[in-house]
Amino acid sequence: MIIMAAVARLSCVCRRGIKPLLYQSTLLPRALVASHKYQDHPYMLTARIHASQALNASSGSKAASLHWTAERAVSVLLLAMGPVAYFNPGPFIDYSLAAALTLHGHWGLGQVLTDYVHGDTKIKIANAGLFLLSTVTFAGLCYFNYNDVGICKAVALLWSK
Amino acid sequence: MNRFFFFFFYSRTFARQGVCVSRSQYTVFYRHAAPMGTTAKEEMNKFWAKNAQLNRPMSPHITIYKWSVPMMMSITHRGTGVGLSGAISAVALAALVLPGSYPYYLDMIHSLYLGPCLIALAKFGIAFPVSFHTLNGVRHLYWDIGKGFKIPQVYKTGYTVIGLSILTSAALMFI
Repeated sequence: MIIMAAVARLSCVCRRGIKPLLYQSTLLPRALVASHKYQDHPYMLTARIHASQALNASSGSKAASLHWTAERAVSVLLLAMGPVAYFNPGPFIDYSLAAALTLHGHWGLGQVLTDYVHGDTKIKIANAGLFLLSTVTFAGLCYFNYNDVGICKAVALLWSK
Repeated sequence: MNRFFFFFFYSRTFARQGVCVSRSQYTVFYRHAAPMGTTAKEEMNKFWAKNAQLNRPMSPHITIYKWSVPMMMSITHRGTGVGLSGAISAVALAALVLPGSYPYYLDMIHSLYLGPCLIALAKFGIAFPVSFHTLNGVRHLYWDIGKGFKIPQVYKTGYTVIGLSILTSAALMFI
C-alpha cells in the first residue's frame, strides 16, 4: 500500500512537468524527476536537483544571463537604427548597421545551432563555422561600405528600381 | 500517510490547472534534496550521447502534434531570421568576391527589363521577411519584459503582427 502510494507520488513528480516551477520562488531547490532507485525506500524519497544560481552563487556564472541581456540590447539598438538609416543615411549609420546586423545575426544563428546541434565536437565545429561566417560577413559589409555605395544607399538604389 | 499523498496529488493537480499554490505546500515535499554534481548542459549532452550511441530513432513530434498559429509564427520567425542572415552574408561575400561595383550589377538587372509585376513581387518578397521578423521581434521583446503571455494575448499580438507585416510589405511594394 505504501509502495503504491510512493509510486503514485513518483508518477506525480514525473507528470507535473515545468508548471509548478513557475510558482516556486527561486530560493527553493528546483526538483527534477526523483530517482527510481528510491522506490524501495519510500520514506527516503530524495529529489535530485540542480543547485540553482541563487543557492550557489559562488560556483555559478552570470555569463549566460549577461549574454541574454546583451542579445536584447542589440535587438533594440537595431530597431532604433531603422528610422535613423532612413532619415539620416551616411557612413556612420552604414558601419553601425553593419556591426549590429552581423552581431544580431551571429547570436541568432548561435541560438539555432544550440537548439539543433548536439554532441561536443559537432557543436565546436558548428560554432567555429559560424564564427568564420560572421567574420566574413562583417568584413564584406565594411568593404562594401568603404569601397562601394554603402548599405543605406544600396537599399535606396535597389528600391528605386 | 495516505492523506499526505492525496493532498500532494491534489496540490499538483491544482498547480497544473494554473492555481498559484503557496510556498509552504512545496517546502514540505523536498525534505530530502540532493544537489547533483552536473550542470543542465552536461545532463543534456549525456542524454544526446546515450541516445545517439544506442542509435535510437527520433520520436515523432512535429509530424504528429497539432500545429497552431503561435507555433507557425515562431518557426517563421526563425526561418526569416536565418534567411535574412543568409542573404546578408551572401551580399557581403559577393562584395568581397565579385569584381564589379554595386551600381554595375544593379544596371545589369535593370537591363533585363523585368515586368513591373515581377519587380513588385520581388519587392514584396524582400519586404515581407524583413517586416515580419522585425514586428515579431518586437512581440518577442514584449514577452521579454514579461508581458502578453496569456493565450488570448498571444493570439491577438500574433494576428496583429501578421496583419501589419502584410500591410507594410504591400505598402513598400508600391514605393
